[in-house]
Amino acid sequence: MIAENNILNAVQEAFKVEGKVIRERRVEVFAKKDEVSSILLFAKVQHGYIHLAHVTCIDWIEDGDFELVYTIYNPELKITLFVKTRIDREAPVMENIDGIWDQANTYEREMREMYGIEFPGLIGDHEFILEDWDEMPPMRRDFDTNEYAGETFFQQPGREDAKDVRGEVCERSGEVIPDFAKKYSRD
Amino acid sequence: MIEANDKETQGVVDYIKNFIRKHSIFMLAYGTGCGAIELPATLTSRYDAERLGIRGAATPRQADVLLITGYLSTKTLKRVIRVYEQMQDPKYVIGFGSCTINGGMYFDSYNTINSLAQYIPVDIYINGCMPRPEAILAGFEELQKKIQKGEADNGTKYQENIEWYRANQKKIIKNWRMPDYNW
Ligand code: SF4
Repeated sequence: MIAENNILNAVQEAFKVEGKVIRERRVEVFAKKDEVSSILLFAKVQHGYIHLAHVTCIDWIEDGDFELVYTIYNPELKITLFVKTRIDREAPVMENIDGIWDQANTYEREMREMYGIEFPGLIGDHEFILEDWDEMPPMRRDFDTNEYAGETFFQQPGREDAKDVRGEVCERSGEVIPDFAKKYSRD
Repeated sequence: MIEANDKETQGVVDYIKNFIRKHSIFMLAYGTGCGAIELPATLTSRYDAERLGIRGAATPRQADVLLITGYLSTKTLKRVIRVYEQMQDPKYVIGFGSCTINGGMYFDSYNTINSLAQYIPVDIYINGCMPRPEAILAGFEELQKKIQKGEADNGTKYQENIEWYRANQKKIIKNWRMPDYNW
């Protein structure tokens, strides 16, 4: 765990951020919103974290926050570093980092579409995966997909009661439900 | 397939026409969902669908059967409608997998349709998630029976009820930029 602690200490010395070693080869730091790009650049240039594995967003609707997680990877040490930050859910704006890694552009466009996070200066169409979408961004937790699907698409009858029909099916085809499968019954 | 042989109710020309149609099914497999992975197995040497007269077509205009293999997002549905309208009569649609029947496990998703038959007429459904190649072949056999009986006439049904289908399609495809046909 020496290498893990080394990278954590290096980031903490330079930026005074909280962080911990989660386990072998997993390190995470919690940064403020405007420190993120500096930390990423620092890790990339000085510590060999050359690979941006993923950028993702978590909707903490209870706290009124979006959490952004930047996952970067050092192929030499084989250590993953998570840089986490929280931004305000009401007016979500985050710095655009596709100057550091080009592929961040894709993740950011997706987050813009799915969560409504704005990245000033981000190049690319606003329409990315969805077409003609005019509702709330669909991955937000306050978007009720079930209700939306019920109103928009034609529901086939028979879904509402979610009845367990395995008994009937077995009867029809002359089979028996094996014991191990009975515990999955919904009734 | 002897039982489908009802020369009494069909004229000779119809009978021959249907007999020929049922034995040369050119299929356009629109691999929309995960179920498409069963098609290579169906078409290649293990199950060898061609021995039953089923083979792939290169373009919609050359195809008889449109095989929709799984869930359709609204974005894909647009393309499917376009493909379906390009096909020549007689044309048949097979809905493959529970996603085309009632949405399958994506029934509450925000961008996959739940019931294919509301947008284009479906001749045969093959249920299962995902159906095995045997089920596909069984589905085609059903379709062949239907064709022989002369019951598979959904291309005409689509033309006759085009307003109803269009209304359903336009309900979810908001930005309608497709050509309007007058057959
Ligand atoms: S029915 Fe099952 S296998 Fe087929 S597309 Fe839907 S989820 Fe995939």
